[in-house]
Amino acid sequence: MKSTQYTEKTLEHFRNPRNVGTLEGPNVAVGRVGNPVCGDMMDIYIEVENDRIKDIKFQTFGCGSAVATSSMITELVQGMTLDDALKVSRGDVADALEGLPPIKMHCSNLAADALHEAIKNWREGIKPEDATKTPGGTACHPTPAAVAEIEIAKLDEYEGKGLYRRVAVDELPQLADQRVVVLDTGDRAAQLAMDLTDHTGRVVLMTTGKGPSVSAAMRSALRLSDVKILAEAQPLELLGEGELERIRVHDLNEDEEYELTADAFVLLE
Amino acid sequence: MSVSDPGETLARQDIVYADYQSAKPVDPRVVAAMLPYFTEKFGNAASLHGVGDAATAALENARTRVARFFGAEPKEIVFTSGATEASNLAIIGYALRNRRKGDHVIISEAEHVSILNIAKYLEKNGFRVTRVPIDLYGRVSPKKLRARITDETILVSVQWASTEIGTEQPIGEIAELLTGSGIALHSDAVAAEGLVPIDTSAVPVSLLSLSSNDLYGPRGLGALYVRQGVQVAPVLLGGGQERGLRSGSEDLASIVGMAAAADILIAEMGAEVPRLRAIRDRLVERVLTEIPDAHLNGHREQRMPNNAHFRFEGVEGEAMVLSLRDQGIAAATGSACSSKTLEPSHTLLSCGLLHEEAHGSLEFTFGRWSRAADVERIMAALPGVIARLRSLSPLYKTTTPA
Repeated sequence: MKSTQYTEKTLEHFRNPRNVGTLEGPNVAVGRVGNPVCGDMMDIYIEVENDRIKDIKFQTFGCGSAVATSSMITELVQGMTLDDALKVSRGDVADALEGLPPIKMHCSNLAADALHEAIKNWREGIKPEDATKTPGGTACHPTPAAVAEIEIAKLDEYEGKGLYRRVAVDELPQLADQRVVVLDTGDRAAQLAMDLTDHTGRVVLMTTGKGPSVSAAMRSALRLSDVKILAEAQPLELLGEGELERIRVHDLNEDEEYELTADAFVLLE
Repeated sequence: MSVSDPGETLARQDIVYADYQSAKPVDPRVVAAMLPYFTEKFGNAASLHGVGDAATAALENARTRVARFFGAEPKEIVFTSGATEASNLAIIGYALRNRRKGDHVIISEAEHVSILNIAKYLEKNGFRVTRVPIDLYGRVSPKKLRARITDETILVSVQWASTEIGTEQPIGEIAELLTGSGIALHSDAVAAEGLVPIDTSAVPVSLLSLSSNDLYGPRGLGALYVRQGVQVAPVLLGGGQERGLRSGSEDLASIVGMAAAADILIAEMGAEVPRLRAIRDRLVERVLTEIPDAHLNGHREQRMPNNAHFRFEGVEGEAMVLSLRDQGIAAATGSACSSKTLEPSHTLLSCGLLHEEAHGSLEFTFGRWSRAADVERIMAALPGVIARLRSLSPLYKTTTPA
């Protein structure tokens, strides 16, 4: 079955999603699940009155089924008691949509998880702004990572072969058309990353934190720049045949490892 | 019996078809050329009677015309059931036949999944396979390729162009690099045939995978170009057709169709390609100027003239394709959510894109029945589709300034 062979009901919810948006106020909680890395991320907002869901809204980044399941669950649980809402499962959402393609049952059917997360956050008194600070932990893989200080392996092997400990202004043109990864070490690294965007279309600022550790002014400058921020990423090892070609990265949010293609790695001293 | 015109059919259905890389309509002139071979000239080229002789003559005539299109000798063309089979014959057949020279094969990271899987098969069967990286724009670096060649290397496989992002590989440079080394060069040419000249008399490739449908011929047919003197073992055994390299009675109607398709391109490519390039350029220009946070994937100039491959921040590809479908526009995506494996496009990741960026990709490929007005239709729909999906997304506002 093709991923796009959705039921009419699913397509209808995708085309005309119900209850899109956010909620505010003292009786609001939010559940966030998913991760942009997996291709799906959703926030479900609930407003609670007398232990019932008085109002519910959602925002979703993702494929057709991610949007449709979010929309569907907001209709299913409107007015329900929290205990009843907790019983609504992924399967119930899929059934309400008259079925989902098998391949979508796990990856893009996170709406029930997001709702349960919202109810849990409500009961634990976790405020919406705290719940949506980071990508959710229940996405492709459910274990949030422990941040550890790890040495980057094989650094010395790539000295002069893609590893830069300093980049002088007149050296910037050497990096033309290169995929440059700058490790976030503060404002100086961020400034260098922005300067590099005049020379190459691909500059990634990699940070182990949830955002770059820079001043507020630098943060807004970065937002307006073409620098791509890669958050919660820890470089583990440099790889390549004779010269740098890839960086092995630990995704701290997903606790997974992957390889990022890169021609240059800047680690300012 | 009349054959409907694809352009008229799409117009009647009010569909803008911009997914020519996935499938092309067969040119009605090709269909007309094929028809006699179903009921009148139905013979088997192996038969000794007159009906068989007529088939042999038609087969060899078609082979000559297909060969001419690729600057080849007729005996260098082996008809297969498609480009996938041609690649199996090229890579597995070459590796098996030349094993005594070495056990090492190099492929590029940009190859189509069919080549990646053939390479995995070789690895399971005792060969060593090295993958050569691509640059930011999807190009194989000849320098990085050279660094991976060993004494045991017998074969290099690099596509002529990417089926996905349309990047053209420096295949001439790579062929030159391998000249005199005794290492064969195979190239999967499906994304390039009919769009750029592929001349085996000018570029010394050893093996070329070709598809008939990419020339607007019938599907289910392809060919392998095998340079004279290059030794390949068959992978499909039987009655020894196609000089023993590809057994099974030839699909004469389709072969005649592929030849007719090649003839049309010889006459019309000179006008068709600039026309497609103008349509594509217009779309790229409008998307990049009219839609915020839109980027072009692949190389600006060194790309197939019919290919436009974008990514949009904060939007997922399958959702874009579904939304465009509702507005009668057929496009493609490299997002994981549309694939069987749930992995995003390996090509985009090899270019250095992050997963979340690869998820936001959208591909348009134009072809013979594309019109300038298609761009207007796409641009009447696309900005709204992206704005709507971004309005649903919790991600977009956090990745861009308010």
